[in-house]
Amino acid sequence: MAAEYEKQGADEIVFLDISASVEGRKTMLQVVERTAESLFVPLTVGGGIRSKEDMRAALNAGADKVSVNTMAVQHPSVISECAKDFGSQCVVCAIDAKRTGESWKVYTHGGRRPTDLDAVKWAVRAQELGAGEILLTSMDADGMKDGYDIELTAAVAEAVTIPVIASGGCGKLEHIYEVLTRTKAEAALAASIFHYSELSVEQCKSYLRERGVKVR
Amino acid sequence: MALNITMADYGVGNLHSIRKALENCGAKVHVITDMKGLLDAECIVLPGVGAFDKTMERLQPFRADIVRKLNGGTPCLGVCIGMQILFDKSEEGEQPGLGYYGGNVVKLKADRVPHMGWNSVQSSDRLFRGISSPYFYFAHSFHGSPREDVTVGTTEYFGRIPTLFRKGNTYGTQFHPEKSSASGNIFLSNFVDFAEEQL
Repeated sequence: MAAEYEKQGADEIVFLDISASVEGRKTMLQVVERTAESLFVPLTVGGGIRSKEDMRAALNAGADKVSVNTMAVQHPSVISECAKDFGSQCVVCAIDAKRTGESWKVYTHGGRRPTDLDAVKWAVRAQELGAGEILLTSMDADGMKDGYDIELTAAVAEAVTIPVIASGGCGKLEHIYEVLTRTKAEAALAASIFHYSELSVEQCKSYLRERGVKVR
Repeated sequence: MALNITMADYGVGNLHSIRKALENCGAKVHVITDMKGLLDAECIVLPGVGAFDKTMERLQPFRADIVRKLNGGTPCLGVCIGMQILFDKSEEGEQPGLGYYGGNVVKLKADRVPHMGWNSVQSSDRLFRGISSPYFYFAHSFHGSPREDVTVGTTEYFGRIPTLFRKGNTYGTQFHPEKSSASGNIFLSNFVDFAEEQL
């Protein structure tokens, strides 16, 4: 499937085993290996990364970037260690955020466990620790297909200088255009609109290109 | 006869994609962990994984010999960090680089660092022949800043940065051709053709 997306023009592929931390499972390294073999676009792997060694194993299996979420919150220093050894460019800090009053709180374990961390402050901290990208998922918007969380994305992308990838809520092409033009997000992640063949990656890109968004 | 490429494994990160991509171009790829092997190479590839010092560690004892070999005309391709170590030194690390390209590697001056994702490369170099969409994948916080005239390609990112270098038969790319889908494959295939002509 990953190779098929590359053919369609996908810029990157992200594999997330979203329930790995909850079920205590490690990353599916064999799947990563098989995918990486025939893929010539960047591959990000996430879910169940518990240590620097897990990260090394994922990179050795063929991942270009590794996304950390629960582990980063529990042991922030691991972000720095990984950035130092493997380079910031391969450390993606995934943040699952949910609105609480006037701000957003960080959730771990695939969005199941609330923490006391403020999402914007945590993003800044992750950058200081050496993360190279933020993969920001709005739990409020995720699955609703009603558009990305513009306010959250704008707040985080404004606060950090590393690239932010917006995630959660994409239901149609207009949503991607909206988040890329109304916030400083560098990229947008969409899953279901592509998985269920509602749209092709190429359709998405020509839509954005026609509207003046710079795409490959 | 297939081109024999000797690829340096500095011990950090994976070399699957670049190896596979070059093999798809018809080359035979030999991955070595003892850097002494570079000195007998028909063609050298310095892949783009890891940080500056970590990458230079194993190469340090062979600096002078490697430069002599490159000066002798052995075709070489350095990708990302593999290109950056061809310079004199880097703001990223303490270790001296190979010093083949005159100049230093400097921190990217941009509103968003690292520069991550796809961007276009302006180049009329022969390695760009047949590339209809010059978009390539980037992932870096530093870039080469040559003191000599070796830049053969540039990219717009908060200003213009040099992203493709050539001196003698040694090419260096800031982008990752092995992660750049069809355009990257054409680029690598052009490099393999170029290297074969030099033998």
